[in-house]
Amino acid sequence: MSNSFSQGQAAVVEGVEVPVAVDKHAEIERSQTETVGEYRVADPRMTCRDVDVFYSGSQAIYNVSLDIGKNEVISMIGPSGCGKSTFLRCLNRMNDTIDGCKVAGSIQLDGRNIYDKSMDVVPLRARVGMVFQKPNPFPKTLYENVAYGPRIHGIADNKAHLDHIVETSMRKAGLWEEVKDRLDQPGTGLSGGQQQRLCIARAIAVEPEVILMDEPCSALDPIATAKIEELIDELRENYTIAIVTHSMQQAARVSQRTAYFHLGKLIEVGETDQIFTQPRHKLTEDYITGRFG
Amino acid sequence: MNNTPQTRSVKDRLEAGLAARYRRERRFRLYGMLAIGLGMLFLALLFFSILSNGLPAFQQTYMQLQVNFDPRYVDPRGNGSPESLAAGDYGGLVKAALRERFPEVSGRREKRELYSIVSTGAAYQLRDMVKADPGLVGSTTRVWVPADDELDMLLKGHTSDLIEHAGQGIVSLVEDGDEVRLLSTSNDFSNILQAVKHDLSREADKVERKRDQLQDNLQAAQQQLERIEQAIQQARDERKDDARIARMEHQREDEQFRLEDYRQKMARAKSVLDDLRRRTETPGGQEALTKELPSYLVAVDGGLVKLTAVSNTEAIGRVLMPLQSQQDAAAGSWQILEYETPESSRRLKDNALAWAWDLQRKGQLEKRFNTTFFTAGDSREPELAGIRGAVVGSFYTLVVTLLLSFPIGVSAAVYLEEYAPKNRWTDLIEVNINNLAAVPSIVFGLLGLAVFINFFGLPRSAPLVGGLVLTLMTLPTIIIASRAALKSVPPSIREAALGVGASRIQMMTHHVLPLAMPGMLTGTIIGMAQALGETAPLLMIGMVAFIVDIPGGFTDPATALPVQIYLWADSPERAFVERTSAAIIVLLGFLIIMNLLAVMLRKKFERRW
Amino acid sequence: MNDMIGGHIVHAFNNELKQINELVLQLGEMGLDQLRRAVQSLEDEDPKAASQIIERDRAMNELDIKADEEIIRLIAKRQPVAKDLRDVLTVQKTVNDLERVGDEARKVAGLTLHFYDQDKHPPNGHMLHDIFRMAEFVEEMLHASLTAFKELDLPQALEVIRQDTELDEEYRAALRRLSTYVMEDSRNVGYMVEVTLTLRALERIGGHAKNIGGYVIFLVTGRDVRHESLAKIRTEIEAGNYLPG
Repeated sequence: MSNSFSQGQAAVVEGVEVPVAVDKHAEIERSQTETVGEYRVADPRMTCRDVDVFYSGSQAIYNVSLDIGKNEVISMIGPSGCGKSTFLRCLNRMNDTIDGCKVAGSIQLDGRNIYDKSMDVVPLRARVGMVFQKPNPFPKTLYENVAYGPRIHGIADNKAHLDHIVETSMRKAGLWEEVKDRLDQPGTGLSGGQQQRLCIARAIAVEPEVILMDEPCSALDPIATAKIEELIDELRENYTIAIVTHSMQQAARVSQRTAYFHLGKLIEVGETDQIFTQPRHKLTEDYITGRFG
Repeated sequence: MNNTPQTRSVKDRLEAGLAARYRRERRFRLYGMLAIGLGMLFLALLFFSILSNGLPAFQQTYMQLQVNFDPRYVDPRGNGSPESLAAGDYGGLVKAALRERFPEVSGRREKRELYSIVSTGAAYQLRDMVKADPGLVGSTTRVWVPADDELDMLLKGHTSDLIEHAGQGIVSLVEDGDEVRLLSTSNDFSNILQAVKHDLSREADKVERKRDQLQDNLQAAQQQLERIEQAIQQARDERKDDARIARMEHQREDEQFRLEDYRQKMARAKSVLDDLRRRTETPGGQEALTKELPSYLVAVDGGLVKLTAVSNTEAIGRVLMPLQSQQDAAAGSWQILEYETPESSRRLKDNALAWAWDLQRKGQLEKRFNTTFFTAGDSREPELAGIRGAVVGSFYTLVVTLLLSFPIGVSAAVYLEEYAPKNRWTDLIEVNINNLAAVPSIVFGLLGLAVFINFFGLPRSAPLVGGLVLTLMTLPTIIIASRAALKSVPPSIREAALGVGASRIQMMTHHVLPLAMPGMLTGTIIGMAQALGETAPLLMIGMVAFIVDIPGGFTDPATALPVQIYLWADSPERAFVERTSAAIIVLLGFLIIMNLLAVMLRKKFERRW
Repeated sequence: MNDMIGGHIVHAFNNELKQINELVLQLGEMGLDQLRRAVQSLEDEDPKAASQIIERDRAMNELDIKADEEIIRLIAKRQPVAKDLRDVLTVQKTVNDLERVGDEARKVAGLTLHFYDQDKHPPNGHMLHDIFRMAEFVEEMLHASLTAFKELDLPQALEVIRQDTELDEEYRAALRRLSTYVMEDSRNVGYMVEVTLTLRALERIGGHAKNIGGYVIFLVTGRDVRHESLAKIRTEIEAGNYLPG
């Protein structure tokens, strides 16, 4: 007897033939465009519907719809080249900087389409901040790194206010105690983990609603990684976080919802616990158990 | 582990080839070191040549004169007014001072020679002194004035090689009107005679060689004549046309003339040779010391005697500097000064040598630091020539170049790197910029001439036009360097800035430009150093004129330092040779400083990402 | 089974999973073997065979410990998720149950020793009749559960669970019959107690087989059905609330 059924097979229980359910596995493999799991949430912070992304004509993201809920951490996982980073960068229009990149579909932040002609990308990036894979502090002082954003957006009223913003952001990023007496040192003089926390403080300083993190720990050692994960957990209270990660364990630890991407399609999305104990799509399961990647 | 035949041979092959590989590497290293060594050698030669030629130019000979500011010369109108003082005959003052210093000089020609040992600038110097302090009128003061460049060359050893022979015997002298007879107890004079005879003998050899050459020519001509004769005869026999025969006869005539010429020259050479041989072969006798022979001056009894004839026992001479006594001079207390370059081959005659000797002896002739070189503009007189005009001209030109090329270059680089769409047009622009960097600079000069001067009517020779032309020339360099600097700023910085919500312009000005600035500055400094050394384009736009005044602004006619060097290099005076090298030293100094600055900047601001 | 455990990019992972699954089968074979021999020894009235069985139980215990070690190592090293995790947990629980099966088989062998070791008067053959009947049934159940594990056969697993209900009936019937023997002759009480305990052991083996069936359902469907009724389990499977693979 095989371990998967096809339609029509039955089990004999108590002498009665019991019709056994259809093989959903085959069904899902056939309907590649349908995402398994509920991609909508109630009261989302950002909504994406039918998003397609093209790089110079060749398609990278196929018809992805996904909601990002308020004050949740949603992780995006998938094998390399599956489009998770591409999708993430759509959320704050960083793909605009890439020549030949076209984004179709609707991505809305609090009800307004961010790709609308009337939408200015500069304040958008203050509301949707980004932390990158390799920590990239500005080659300026620690203070300047964090103060730059508020300064150019005119958030601070005066120097005292700016000082306050810098301190608050650094505290929230768990960095203040370590560097408070050397704010005039260059940002590049910190360790990798501290630099990344500085970048997080920099992103927080402009008071975003959403923080996008593109593999933030992939360049860090385990202890620094653990600190960042702890930080993400704390930040969840006040911010919505979307994190792309290639470490499934990290996704499992850190997020409440997980979205699995494969070759530019959103295959499955659901509660993190469910995805990692009982994934419903074969591709998802194969990826997280290490059967391909 | 089993050693299969396979692995063994691989190992062996490896080891066998190893020796050859090391040998090859050593050879390669050797070639490299040889190449560097060769380069260094040439560099050393270059520097040695320039420094040895140029360093003496930083010293100028000055003469101390007792000048009597006689109002007759200085104040022609007699009222002491500035106009009167300005119109005074300061040249006359100088001449008077010289006459006073060397009262024994007489005769118009000799006086003219005397006046020529002081620079013409001395007169202007005196005038400026009176202008600054009219109280000088009527007083007598000691003034240090610049000596003529010929005297300067004398002191720097370029006029002639000088051998000082200490007198070995006791010399006694008898003055006899203009002449002086000298007798030495030792063979001082006979040595001179020997030397003279040796010189004559060498001369005779030369004449002999010439005569032999003439002999050969003569023979050749004779043979040619015979051939032509034969040809004519043959032509007559064959009844060739008359025109041809006439031509050949014409040739024969030419040949005959030539033959005659050779014969005459040979006769002359023969007679000269015979005379020389006669003189050299007879020991003793008296030889006249002509202009073609080295000059022998005897410094004795506080004076100077120029020898006009010498024999084994005595010498006859003419007094150049008056003797203070006629006493016998003991051995060692008198010298024979042998100037190896004959008088006919130099500009300074023996009497000038005597005056120089006297002045030096009395400490009235010395070399001082040549401030004129740095304070004066160009001049026909080498001792009055300086590079200030050229330096100021170069300065103005570079200022214009910098003010124009830096902003334009940086902006172009920023636009091309950040904002320009990547299409065929921008590719074309990039190729053109790269090519422009390799265009010969004289082409830019032609462009400047055609466009700036002819079309726009800007003034010729002005630093403004020079700066415009040099801007065109350095722009490609600056653009290329700036683009490289911009490219070297990692994209992570740009992304970080954009991610925080900076606009494109803010990202550029707040983050990318400051980080790229060291590279841009380095490129600019190197471009400026290149521009400083450019001559060809400036020649084309006319910055080549002889300009004495120091340019005061961007539209005044000016010249540039490399052009000045080019002009001076053309001049025949020995003094200009050394000044050319000195100007080259100054130019090289500026270039080295600029390049060092670029290197230092780069080292200081270089970041490792 | 290979479909379930194989396919990892890291082959060593495949091998480790295969190893622990095979430990289960190995342990299951040993358990079955012990049961058969125990029953045989009773039939043959062979106390020597019975003591051998008791000896061999030690091997089962060692295997149990070894299996646990392998499982801990695998979890620490590979951090299994989803179906790999269910597989590991299933193996762990099954091994546990199989070790108990071995213990129960030993108790059956103990009966042999008790009746036939000393020069005692053996009991009435009729009393043992039920033991042989139940043992056969339980053997079948255990074998079926192991096959269901090996083949990941859901119907088979369901069947084993259903059989446990039947076993319950048999057990109660056997107890009733036993009590009649006592009523017949009150001197049989001693024997009755022993036989009852043996029947209980056999009934427990059946219970373990049912558990293994439940684990297989968990492994395949992801649903923990340990405390659910058969009817409920059937309905849920019909509704298709299970996962592929």
